[in-house]
Amino acid sequence: MLTIALPKGALLKDSIALFKSVGLDFSAFLDSGTRQLQIPDPTGRAQGLLVRAQDVPVYVEYGQAHLGIVGYDVLREKQPSVAQLADLGFGGCRMSVAVKATSPYRSALDLPAHCRVASKFVNCARAYFQSIDLPVEIVTLYGSVELGPITGMSEAIVDLVSTGRTLQENNLIELEVLYQSTARLIAHPVSYRINAEGMEQWIEALRQESLAIA
Amino acid sequence: MAYQPPSGARDLLPLDVAQKYWIEARLEHIFQQWGYHRIITSTVESLDTLMAGGAIDQATVIELQGTGQTRLGLRPELTASIARAAVTRMDQVGYPQRLYYTANVFRRAAQASQGEQQEYYQAGVELLGSDSALSDAEILLLLNDAVRHLNLTDFQVVLGNAGLTRSLLAPFPEPLRSQVRDAIARLDRITLETLDLSEALRQRALTLLDLRGTPADVLQTVSQLDLEIEQRAIVNRLKSLVELLSGGESPLPLVLDLSLIQSFDYYTGVVFEVVANTPQGRQVVGKGGRYDHLLGVFHPQGQSYPGIGFMLSVEGLHQALLPSGYLPQDTPASDWLVVPRNDRAAAAAFAYAQTIRDAANLVRVELYLDPESSAAMIRDRAKKRRIHRIAWVSETGSPEIETVN
Repeated sequence: MLTIALPKGALLKDSIALFKSVGLDFSAFLDSGTRQLQIPDPTGRAQGLLVRAQDVPVYVEYGQAHLGIVGYDVLREKQPSVAQLADLGFGGCRMSVAVKATSPYRSALDLPAHCRVASKFVNCARAYFQSIDLPVEIVTLYGSVELGPITGMSEAIVDLVSTGRTLQENNLIELEVLYQSTARLIAHPVSYRINAEGMEQWIEALRQESLAIA
Repeated sequence: MAYQPPSGARDLLPLDVAQKYWIEARLEHIFQQWGYHRIITSTVESLDTLMAGGAIDQATVIELQGTGQTRLGLRPELTASIARAAVTRMDQVGYPQRLYYTANVFRRAAQASQGEQQEYYQAGVELLGSDSALSDAEILLLLNDAVRHLNLTDFQVVLGNAGLTRSLLAPFPEPLRSQVRDAIARLDRITLETLDLSEALRQRALTLLDLRGTPADVLQTVSQLDLEIEQRAIVNRLKSLVELLSGGESPLPLVLDLSLIQSFDYYTGVVFEVVANTPQGRQVVGKGGRYDHLLGVFHPQGQSYPGIGFMLSVEGLHQALLPSGYLPQDTPASDWLVVPRNDRAAAAAFAYAQTIRDAANLVRVELYLDPESSAAMIRDRAKKRRIHRIAWVSETGSPEIETVN
């Protein structure tokens, strides 16, 4: 059966709406009473897996899920071997460098060499500071990255920004935008090549639907 | 302290070996039926040999502590080694060389600390010295025969042509061409949609990405492209190949996929992957292709010869075959247990065991090593170990035969 990995969190609602628009209903995942991590579509043509956003490309790369929806930020950070089939347009956000508003820094190049930068996206942060030739120490955090500069542990953070409200409420300002991110439709490459479970027709329907929304 | 194999290494116990051997023996049987001869090359190669073909990422080679100037590595595949070993013979051998191997290969895992496997087993063939359309067909038909002899039914072969795809990419100016090639190899449609390309080139790139499906459909689409004479010749040859492969009782289950390329490889003609449906999901259990320039790299005068071959992953096939029930479920039981009735009967027992072993077919005979045990216990052990018969041997040599299982 066609298996689809759906990301918990910010992209879940839009992802479920997109699949609903092509006739696959996984809205049971939105039901707060549901603890199931694997549910079939009521028509029995597909099943959904509810996994953490970072784990979506893992299930797809290993072939346990044929399709998945995940943010470009995760793909860029983990570089998984998956087919990237469509920019779905929703879940827009940007990867940014931010510092305390009270700091003297107004561009990433103002940051002192060998300063600390806190981030969940260590590969992306490392690549960025290498590209501007600024040696920094990357500190890995798993959440509430904003506390890095607030507590004084780090000078800056590299994190996803969608509305900018979290930064504002914590007195942080954006210095640079590394890239824009949106939700992507990904597929297990081998399954995609042989059109396993007739996935091609679903991919085409999803592409058309996301183009129509855009 | 507990001595464990290093991370990523594993031991194969007798049942694992029996299953692995079942796969290898069946493959070798077919390879030999098609006139292929086994070649054994060195596990250790100089890094230069391994890298010469340009298809191996040095980061994946497990290097060895050498003594001199030569950097050494464990082979990650066999084709380079076979090309090196065979090319010097090509001048004397006036006919195509048909070679096969079953061997271990080594690959440094990207994250070795997480215990990803580093030693693998492969079986494969190389047909050297012919670039005829028939040699393409022979290799793919041999592949079909070998896979079917394993009773693997749920598989597909994804077939492409690296030479054709490469030449269809020629209109893209560098450095865009490598970016487009790379995006097609990774099935990355989003990059092709956003790259800075003219509308005509973008359409071409997306068409190339989608040249995949049933052979007839794909051949029709590709025929409608504005093809040069050489490209048309390749397409015609592909068409005849597909026709040839779709005949017979159990034709090769084919997906034609002209987006099947790699960013770096030595393939020049047909390329293919064998995809099996395993309990762990669909995975590539074999791959191969035509390489008409690789042998020249290893020839002292740069004289090149065409070649084509494939390798099958024994681990991948093992995973795919496990649910089928065809793999041996137990190590073979002994046919006979020869029991000396007392210490003095030892010589007679050994002698009797040998007379049974000398039968024309393989008969497994083991000796009971502790003559003090009670008969009931010996019987019980023989039953548990599925041994067929017990021969009780006394000093005088006359055996008393008892069937237990």
